Amino acid sequence: MQPPPRFEQLIEQHHDEIHRYLWRGLWSGGSAQPDQQAEDLTQEVFMRAFEAYGSIRSTKHLRAWLYKIATNCLRSHWNRSQVASTNIDHDLPLEGPAAQPLERLLDEEREQQLHTAISQLPDKQRLAVIMRHLDGLEYRDIAQVLACSQESARANVSHGLRRLRELLLATAQEEG
Amino acid sequence: MRQLDRKAEREIAELLRRNLSSPTASASSASAQALRAAYLARAPHIHWAAVQSPVGRLHLAASERGLLRVAFESDRQRFLAELDPRAHLQHNGAYIEAALEQVQDYFKRPAEPFELKLDLAALTSFQRRVLASIRAIPTGEVWSYADVAAAIGKPRAARAVGQALGSNPIPIVIPCHRVVASDGGLGGYSGGLDRKRYLLQHEGAR
Repeated sequence: MQPPPRFEQLIEQHHDEIHRYLWRGLWSGGSAQPDQQAEDLTQEVFMRAFEAYGSIRSTKHLRAWLYKIATNCLRSHWNRSQVASTNIDHDLPLEGPAAQPLERLLDEEREQQLHTAISQLPDKQRLAVIMRHLDGLEYRDIAQVLACSQESARANVSHGLRRLRELLLATAQEEG
Repeated sequence: MRQLDRKAEREIAELLRRNLSSPTASASSASAQALRAAYLARAPHIHWAAVQSPVGRLHLAASERGLLRVAFESDRQRFLAELDPRAHLQHNGAYIEAALEQVQDYFKRPAEPFELKLDLAALTSFQRRVLASIRAIPTGEVWSYADVAAAIGKPRAARAVGQALGSNPIPIVIPCHRVVASDGGLGGYSGGLDRKRYLLQHEGAR
């Protein structure tokens, strides 16, 4: 078996993306202090990984393994702070000005609108979308992180994007 | 549930990539620094060094508890890869200084005993007992595997003793080369029989 990379190397390679993933998870989950919380959680993720690293069996999929620990840390954080879960599932109007490109409907407050919209997604969809489209993880890895099948990982990403689009279009309609 | 078509999916993903907030560079760098400090406080620290010797290039490693490895391994990367992957490594650090000096001395004055703390935490208690007993073999003498087995009070365990000696992580300093077969043959050696022969001759063993 290939010897595992040195833990220090793992930190150097993955700190930035794990920190960014946690920050975005916190920020889009409604955190008012994502900087401090992401720093604390990043430490928690790597210290949990450190404890497990002595007995690690496979050196494959280390990246997905770190994302999984990060996702678990986010969930524990939300449980601890008892942030209201965003698992509401009300239906939104799908029709509307869909013929126009979405981009044009959003103005300079785009970032704020995106924040509002993405924070309304269920946690699983939100994190799946971030992992897939911002961090570039394969569906195979997302499935490992979320402990589900690849089909389910794919569905979470797809449903998340669809819901996001509906929410943004609804905002545009209200404003328009 | 209705699926988005691919074009719409790409459009929204692209929108996210371009507009979703990220942590600032200073937040990221503060986090990296805090993590590094936490890692250094938690990780074992191992200091290592390489030394040329008459039996080839040796690599040595020590923790704060003491010397933990002497390797007949000339390749640095292979040597480092076998150390605890969680440890923070430092080349020529303070923990390794005494061992480095005494190993070099040994090749000039083999009768001088090693006075080093050893870190045998990774071994089983049986291995530790076997290795502790052979540290008592004086320079220039040899014991048989059966002698070692008797010394630890397990006279029937000669074979297990052989295995424990074979996995000695600190050869030379823990002199497993001083254990030979009872018929006068050299027995085995993790560093190869040529090295074993050299070390015994160097120590004046018959």
